[in-house]
Amino acid sequence: MATLKLTNLVKHFDDVVAVDHIDLEVADGEFVTLLGPSGCGKTTTLRTIAGFYYPDEGEVYFGDRIMNNIPPNKRDTAMCFQSYALFPHMSVWDNISFGLKMRKMPASEQKIKIERVMEMLSLSELGKRKPGQLSGGQQQRVALARSIVTEPEVLLFDEPLSNLDAKLRVQVRVEIREMQKRLGITAIYVTHDQDEALAISDRIVIMEQGRIEQIGDPYTIYRHPETQFVAGFIGLANIFDGVVLEVEGTRCTVQAPFGNVLINAEGQEVPHKGATIHFSWRPEDMKIRDRTSKNQITGNVLQAVFMGDITDLFIEVNGYKMRAQSDDEAKIVAGDSVSFGIAEHAFSILRE
Amino acid sequence: MDKTMAMPLYLIKKRRIKRFYLMITLFFVIIQLLWVGIPIFMAIMWSLVNPDDAWSYPNLIPPSFSLEQWRYVFNYTNIARALKTSYSIAPLAVILSFLLSLPTSYVLGRKDIPGKKVFMLVVLLPMIMPGMVVALFLSRVFNLMGLSQTFLGLVLAHTLMSMPYMIRVMTTSFASIPQDVIDAAENLGAGTFVKIKDIFLPMIRPGLIAGMIFAFTTSIEEFNLTFIIGTPTFETIPTILYSFMGYNFIRTNASVVSLLMMTPNIIMLFIVERFLKSDYLSASLGKM
Amino acid sequence: MKKKDKMTPFIILMLIPGVGFIVFFIGSSISITVLQSLGFFNMMGESGFTLGYWKSILSSREAIDSLLFSLRMGILSSVGTVLVAFPLALFFRKSGPAKGMLGSIIKVPLFIPALVAAFLILNLISYHGLINTTLMRLNIIDEPLRMLNDSFGWGVITIQIWKNLPFVLLILMSAISSIRDDTIDAARNLGAGYWSVLFRIYIPLAMPGILVAMILMFIKAFGDFPITSVAGPVYPSSVANRMQIMANLYQEWNQAAVLGVIIIITTFFVIWAYSRFAELVQGGA
Repeated sequence: MATLKLTNLVKHFDDVVAVDHIDLEVADGEFVTLLGPSGCGKTTTLRTIAGFYYPDEGEVYFGDRIMNNIPPNKRDTAMCFQSYALFPHMSVWDNISFGLKMRKMPASEQKIKIERVMEMLSLSELGKRKPGQLSGGQQQRVALARSIVTEPEVLLFDEPLSNLDAKLRVQVRVEIREMQKRLGITAIYVTHDQDEALAISDRIVIMEQGRIEQIGDPYTIYRHPETQFVAGFIGLANIFDGVVLEVEGTRCTVQAPFGNVLINAEGQEVPHKGATIHFSWRPEDMKIRDRTSKNQITGNVLQAVFMGDITDLFIEVNGYKMRAQSDDEAKIVAGDSVSFGIAEHAFSILRE
Repeated sequence: MDKTMAMPLYLIKKRRIKRFYLMITLFFVIIQLLWVGIPIFMAIMWSLVNPDDAWSYPNLIPPSFSLEQWRYVFNYTNIARALKTSYSIAPLAVILSFLLSLPTSYVLGRKDIPGKKVFMLVVLLPMIMPGMVVALFLSRVFNLMGLSQTFLGLVLAHTLMSMPYMIRVMTTSFASIPQDVIDAAENLGAGTFVKIKDIFLPMIRPGLIAGMIFAFTTSIEEFNLTFIIGTPTFETIPTILYSFMGYNFIRTNASVVSLLMMTPNIIMLFIVERFLKSDYLSASLGKM
Repeated sequence: MKKKDKMTPFIILMLIPGVGFIVFFIGSSISITVLQSLGFFNMMGESGFTLGYWKSILSSREAIDSLLFSLRMGILSSVGTVLVAFPLALFFRKSGPAKGMLGSIIKVPLFIPALVAAFLILNLISYHGLINTTLMRLNIIDEPLRMLNDSFGWGVITIQIWKNLPFVLLILMSAISSIRDDTIDAARNLGAGYWSVLFRIYIPLAMPGILVAMILMFIKAFGDFPITSVAGPVYPSSVANRMQIMANLYQEWNQAAVLGVIIIITTFFVIWAYSRFAELVQGGA
């Protein structure tokens, strides 16, 4: 178990900067997810932590030891690969025991550990099988067993669920999270799936073009995105520009293209009067026929997509398009004119 | 020096690793150049020895050069005739093996017939079977059929030896045509003739060229069967080289003939490398 | 799901030119070999079943020596070539600067006929060849080493390795390239050093390829005629040599046939053993 620290980390591939000056501290036993679109540098960061890449600049610390030059086999990490990377020529048992053998653990001790892990992941029946004879979900669990059996300092996950079907994915991510909590191992998890990131993490690191956009717990990341990229990448968002007309404490009146809005920037950086700001709010913050909220908006429904529990609405307000959601039972169809209320706390003020 | 002193330790180490890999690459380059280059270089040297100025120990290269050896080989040995024989057998063997292989390759490549694996193995037999055994006892068969010491017999023997390559490569290329393409052509109204002309032939062409090159080089190189069935009536380049390397070893003659035999093949290698996917190379090598 | 095609007369007709041609000539020569080894089908004189030819071959010192020599050449050539080719195949796994060109250079011997290869190497290892000359000039040795026509057969093995290296390299490279990078990374991540990765991952996973390469090399070197007759020892000769001398020089076709059958059986046995082994490996996977 250990804390993990990246300071000023840089990694180039030829002329491409894959990781661009990253700082990150992960507490002992914390579950941190690196989230971002493909090519954002999240996998490179993970592989640098594992030791498959050596950093061009900056340091990787496990605890207070600099790991920059330590080859992967001398680092006490364990990685779950997207492809599982099970050894096809070895049985499930041999796959799981591989790391212990490399650590020259006595066979009797190995046996106890392997049996416990296999029990935990309900693999006990499969010890003699070869990876080729297992289902995707079983292979996933073997990969997980193989990585946790060595009780590493840091567990690394490289999109481990992307080859599973949707239902299994939800089930396994719960298992991973429980396992990690029980063992108290520091974990870094890479994914491009925001639902997965929100569901599994203590903290989420949003990355884009090799840089960190925002670090925060899932609630903060979702409710208070700090940048346009984060607002757009996580969930759905309406993003607009506006000029601050008036500031009163944390409450600002902002002139947006579709009309004036009242934003309460409590807990956020309060903008100056006269500044041009970007701000966003979630479609579900547009409460249909809500007369109590400070902001009242009326729009024409361009398209209504019935999703079962909710209806997705594409509306037009004074010539500007935005998205809303309705959980109202009344059926809404294109062409309807609908009024919405938006709470003053619903807005996030965004950096560039 | 100052610059490296200022660098953090791990960066210096990284540089060292890079330099280490560079050294390894360089090492392999040199070894390979020596491995392949020196033997060929020596053969060239031997073929250029001046007969009036002997090359002997301890000289590492001949004291003077001349083309006398080349002139001698062409004027006073049977090499010219052997060249003619070799290069008349090879094209005939290539064409014959192509014609014989075409229908079989089509079936093996496109039809899922019972016992296909067995057929694929049987087709490899001429390549797998020990050459001298086949040569000796095929000569008995040829004796019975009156084919021994005949040109036709040699063409048939060379055809037999080049067919494994031909069939393997063409089977691979037939099999690699997606069924969708054929279905689409049929769907658009292509008849059998159009299908052959516009779909099959263009799509197997790379495989066909590869197969022909392999068949050709096989024929040019063929020794065992030619030695048993053809000599002394017919001499090809390999059998004449063998005679130069036998009990009366004439190194200079042998080097001239070696170079004659090897040059077209190396040109072929570069053609294959440049224009063909290496899949054909491994397919023809008959991965079992 | 593609359905099985039936053996229609049309398909049989299509198979005849290719498969039929090969089966006819190879089949008839194998049959004659087997029959003549048992005393049947003699071209002249009487024919009739006898094991006498087998007895005389199996009790002949020369024949046994030849057989042992050829076995030695087969085994050592195949092991030697794989030992040289495997590190090269590992080196070629990752693309790097100049490797494309290197790949072409190393493939050159593939297209050099066996006899020419024999001649090229012979120039280097002969009594007054380049290697001896160089070593003597450098004062490393006083007397030239006998590397050609030596009684052990090192000359033959050297030529076999040189000639067949690219062929074996191609097989090994395709075996190694099918090993995923992730698999190697996973092993490293779990604590495996270079040697562990080599012995526990690369070699076991490349084993099918290694076996194919060794089998094909063995068959080539075991049944070889020209290389051994040029670079091999004066005594014993290779089995193929002995067989050819018996048939063509002494006209002892029946005894030659016995040797032929021995070569064929050895070849098929090796292939059969390989396929059994491959089944075992695959059956478990």
